[in-house]
Amino acid sequence: MLMGGNNRGRSLNDYLTRALKENRPWDRIFRDLVLPDENDPAKKGAGEFLRSRIMDLDRLTAEVSVVFFGVNVSCAQCHDHPKVDDWKQDHFYGMKAFFSRTFDNGGFLAEREYGEVRFKTTKGQEKLAKMMFLSGRAVDDPAGTRKPSGEEQRKEREQLEAAKRKRQPPPAPKFSARAKLVETALQPGQGDFFARAIVNRMWHRVFGHGLVMPLDQMHSANEPSHPELLQWLARDLVEHHYDLRRLVRGLVLSKAYSRSSRYPTGPAPRPDLFAVARVRPLTPMQLATSLRLATTDPSSLPASLKLEEFEKRIEQTENSARGFARDFEQPGDDFQVSVTEALLFSNSERMQRDVLADGGDRLVGRLKQIQETKVLVDVAMRNVLSRAATEEEQRLLGDYLKRRADRRVEACRQVVWALLTGSEFRFNY
Amino acid sequence: MAVRRNNFCGSPEHAIDRRGFLGGVAAGAAGLAGLGVLAEPAVAAEMKKQQKRCILLWLAGGASQLETWDPKPGVETGGPFSAIPTSVPGVHISELMPKMAQRMKHTCLIRSLNTRNGDHNSGAQIMIRGRRDEPNLKYPDLGAVLARELGRADSQVPDYVAFYFATEGRGSAPGSAGFLGSRYAPMELYKSMMPENIVRHKDVSDGDHKDRAELRDLLSKQFARGRVSPTLASHNEAYQRVRGLMASDKLFDVTREPQTMRDLYGPTQFGEQVLVARRLIEAGVPFVRVSRAWWDSHGQNFETHQEMVPELDHVMAALLDDLGQRGLLEHTLIITLAEFGRTPQINPSLGRDHFASAWSCSLSGCGIKGGAVWGKSDQTGNRVVDGEIGAAQLFATIYSALGINPQKHYYVGSRPVPLTDPGTKPIKAVLA
Repeated sequence: MLMGGNNRGRSLNDYLTRALKENRPWDRIFRDLVLPDENDPAKKGAGEFLRSRIMDLDRLTAEVSVVFFGVNVSCAQCHDHPKVDDWKQDHFYGMKAFFSRTFDNGGFLAEREYGEVRFKTTKGQEKLAKMMFLSGRAVDDPAGTRKPSGEEQRKEREQLEAAKRKRQPPPAPKFSARAKLVETALQPGQGDFFARAIVNRMWHRVFGHGLVMPLDQMHSANEPSHPELLQWLARDLVEHHYDLRRLVRGLVLSKAYSRSSRYPTGPAPRPDLFAVARVRPLTPMQLATSLRLATTDPSSLPASLKLEEFEKRIEQTENSARGFARDFEQPGDDFQVSVTEALLFSNSERMQRDVLADGGDRLVGRLKQIQETKVLVDVAMRNVLSRAATEEEQRLLGDYLKRRADRRVEACRQVVWALLTGSEFRFNY
Repeated sequence: MAVRRNNFCGSPEHAIDRRGFLGGVAAGAAGLAGLGVLAEPAVAAEMKKQQKRCILLWLAGGASQLETWDPKPGVETGGPFSAIPTSVPGVHISELMPKMAQRMKHTCLIRSLNTRNGDHNSGAQIMIRGRRDEPNLKYPDLGAVLARELGRADSQVPDYVAFYFATEGRGSAPGSAGFLGSRYAPMELYKSMMPENIVRHKDVSDGDHKDRAELRDLLSKQFARGRVSPTLASHNEAYQRVRGLMASDKLFDVTREPQTMRDLYGPTQFGEQVLVARRLIEAGVPFVRVSRAWWDSHGQNFETHQEMVPELDHVMAALLDDLGQRGLLEHTLIITLAEFGRTPQINPSLGRDHFASAWSCSLSGCGIKGGAVWGKSDQTGNRVVDGEIGAAQLFATIYSALGINPQKHYYVGSRPVPLTDPGTKPIKAVLA
């Protein structure tokens, strides 16, 4: 969500990986991203979040509101929200005012102490936007509508040019609108936008369905399915210094998370009851990496492998999967698998000659050496689906192989193909 | 995103839910398999009547309205070509289009587009989606909407096919299913007349290909037991469509057409692709886009158009004739459209530049009033003086011609999103 779906943000990716590894609190990550200190090597990469978006302030405003506060105010750019009383044009432009003084100065973020946002109301009046957080809390702006003198502007230009030449971030402003946004958003009593948004997002991540749906519509006209639970989790997160690991641990150890995705009798209950686990499609990277791992000869990843070596091998696998991942679509909430994907799995050279190759370290290579069908089926099932075959599957796959005794290698490939293209492999369940 | 289905467009003829109707037919007619070959002639006739389709001839780079649909001979910037009368009294088009001039009774012209965007990328996106994306909402393009509205859920043929062999401008307006999701994404042909991965890999025999698909199906059915999820269902539906789509490879094979037919369309790449487009829509594909590039004539505008317009004229006329003979013209809408038109001013390189303030497009066939002309540009073609419309009204008109209510709503989460911006009205004067 923070990467904005582009691949340019390698440095941002590095920052986030480091931050999550050391369990940096969410409020600190937020501060690093919205108020990056580009002199601090420990926070390297964080500035990419703003820098890659700063050319389009409207988009930046909308995305910050969605990502950190769970609200989509982009409708309020042109008009007060028709159905949701919470969102007026003042909210969109109020949020925009926090960013409008920020710009790119030779690859570093710079911010002025002055600058204003004006907009036309639907009635056609021009209005000056006050810096205002989504809760309605306005921030006093010492600059107001003051314009800098010619002398001040000249000085500012010189400073910016000097910073550019030295390849350094320009000096921070005495009054930073972005710092005010961070301060205001984290103040107690600001509607809990920040804490509730990340709780809902994490819940969605873990359960495949948010406590509030959609994730960017957290407002008074769209009640959570479990308001007390959301409130409780948000309060717990704040009390424990925005510790994401604690939050995730709580979610995955819950009874709700341990429920089966199968609901054997009667019509399935509504997803917002969380009575049954949701079947979720793998993301492109998950799918491509899983394909790679599932078709690797299991003996090439022995249990005796040292942790360090194991992690390195997994990283290599992920890297080799990146290219294939680009052929798949990132799933949204009501994702539908395309026929393009089914055709790719069914007929592509890549699938036939690469994924299903029968070389030394590949699964098919291993299977073709196994004489006993029962063992073969079991190795295939365990490697692809991480479980033993049922009796019925033993019979089904065994028969399939037996009927193709004259072309055993091809038969192995086809069995692995059927497992890889099956729904059990494609979904997290 | 939950897309609520409401296929009722408000008119009494469409009071039956179309998908429901077709679903019922499909369940009842055992012969409804493969390439729309129907066992029951009555059912076939009914289906044929019901299904509407669309071919978009995309003039990438921006064809000149002055050298096509809205000539201005005699004025200083009019260029060297004259205007000729058409089969519709009072309507004149460029002399570069003599064949279309004789077929104007099937075609209506819109000469008053003011789309306010002269940039290849954003202009193409607006003209192919009917509007601009929002920061958090990607709109489906025309093809994706029509795939959803006119296609069948269990279709054995593709829903949306797009040809774009040239490299110029291909990235400007890629097919995009937007919030409708990849189910409605185009099958895009960039290099080969045959879609990617539609032909069986030679290492797998046909029998094994079929058997392993059945094996897959059995395993996945076990998994699906007790699990209810539209996404899960879509996974299995996608695989169930594979064999049917593979059988549609013949549709892409232009050599299966008799030589006389190939001669009719001509030996050009554009001609062959349009002929394949006709094969596709005949088999039930609801939308095909054929892109012809590159019309971006900043230099040598007149040579460029002298070369390219007659080809467009020829292929378009062939398509109308062919569809007419097959009884398909009244069910098929043919659109010629670009991202913008070209300036009346002629630059020092004898070119015309990007121009979105007063340009033209044409609609032929299904649902339109043949011979109608909407809107007017001024004497030099610098601005619209009558009937100005933007992309939204054009799209509303296209949807209406195809029997789709342009104000029909999709739902993205809880947000209702009409097919065209709220309040947009189609141009009634060009609708049948």
